[in-house]
Amino acid sequence: MLTPAELVWLIAAVAKGDEAAFERLYAATRAKLFGVVLRILRRQDLAEEVIQEAYVKIWNGAGQFNPGLSSPITWMASIARNRAIDVVRKRTELSIEEEPAAMEVAADTPDPLARREMTEELKRLLECVGRLEPDRQKLVLLAYYNGWSREQLAAKFETPVNTVKTWLRRSMLDIRECLGL
Amino acid sequence: MMPYSEDHIALAAEYALGTLDADERVQVETMMSVDKDFAAMVDAWEDKLSALNQMVGSVEPRAEVWDRIKTAIGHSEPQAPLMLPDAPPPVAPEVTAPAAAEVVDTSNVIRLFAHARRWRNVASFTTAIAAALVAMIAVGVYQPDLLPDVVRPKPRVQVVEVKTPAVPATPSAQYVAVLQKEGGAPAFILTVDGATKNFTVRKVGAAPEPGKSYELWLISDKLQRPRSLGVIGGTDFTARPVLSSYDADTINTATYAVTIEQAGGSPDGNPHSAPVFTGKLIESVPPR
Repeated sequence: MLTPAELVWLIAAVAKGDEAAFERLYAATRAKLFGVVLRILRRQDLAEEVIQEAYVKIWNGAGQFNPGLSSPITWMASIARNRAIDVVRKRTELSIEEEPAAMEVAADTPDPLARREMTEELKRLLECVGRLEPDRQKLVLLAYYNGWSREQLAAKFETPVNTVKTWLRRSMLDIRECLGL
Repeated sequence: MMPYSEDHIALAAEYALGTLDADERVQVETMMSVDKDFAAMVDAWEDKLSALNQMVGSVEPRAEVWDRIKTAIGHSEPQAPLMLPDAPPPVAPEVTAPAAAEVVDTSNVIRLFAHARRWRNVASFTTAIAAALVAMIAVGVYQPDLLPDVVRPKPRVQVVEVKTPAVPATPSAQYVAVLQKEGGAPAFILTVDGATKNFTVRKVGAAPEPGKSYELWLISDKLQRPRSLGVIGGTDFTARPVLSSYDADTINTATYAVTIEQAGGSPDGNPHSAPVFTGKLIESVPPR
């Protein structure tokens, strides 16, 4: 993995239309971004489409990247993840029950990292998530990792959608206070 | 403090979390395009939550994906930002805000990052929490809590009459200069906002100089001597609106240099060391 400063360099070169830099940027980041969107979309073909769209957006938008506001990998992952969420929201509105098996598969969890491998930002965030009630912790992590809608979360937790909405709202405000955002 | 209600804050957070429905997502994206502060709040949430991606395993996409990306970009030129405008574009609502508002905004960003940086190692129970969190995802046990009915977020919708639809959605151009020793690793990254001319300096590789301060200078053949842009703070980010007094051409063509000065910066407005790190804004306009 390249350092954030190296990624900033590459993005700056991509903003000038440097295709070789773009290829290096892709090689350095594709597996992480694909892992993130595949978890959400659960389908290889959809995940590939989203990754393709995301990197085209990265190519076109490299000039707008502001290294003072976010890290390069965060910027890129947000583009890919937002696209994946958009796709999955449109699909679930067509048919929530289209893939009943998907929710079972999605119970798989990311492998825990050794503490020494965690960044300070991750440790800090997990500390704040860990202060929520256990159900709310699950709710927030399932929402982030699996990209589930409120309806899917309500089905998982066997509770009305409105209750899920309240929990999500309260949980995020609690996390905000804990992080000092 | 940002002047946003809890409804707005929760909306921004849930956008980043991903739990909004399709209509709400479009609504948030519209708000982001007309309200820079709101967009910054969404970005801050995305930044915070993205730490969770460290726990997601990498998966290699098939080689065909790159072929398709290459084909796709072959048909689209990078939309690099245009040259710095001499006058702020009239369509961006935030540009008309008083300069003080800009300062408040950027200082808040600094505060965010400074806060994260100040945070130190947590006790070892963090490991246990992380492992427990991951384990809990797989557990389906649930007891319903009695909670009041949800108050659906009622975002303050700004009605903006858009006469040229494409323009307001375009974020202002950002210009980047990498400040480094010749052939050395990047020491600072300078970013200039094309619309406001505010700049931020991010310390990436420069080692701290005990008892000294790094000071940033603008060197231009249009000016008789280097102009100080201020001392680069001890935190990782420093943001200032100082560049607004220079015209776009000067900003575009200047060399940006960092010197080592006595603590607190040069006392007389002149640099006291040779430039240690230098760089120019990266030319962003395609050559043709």
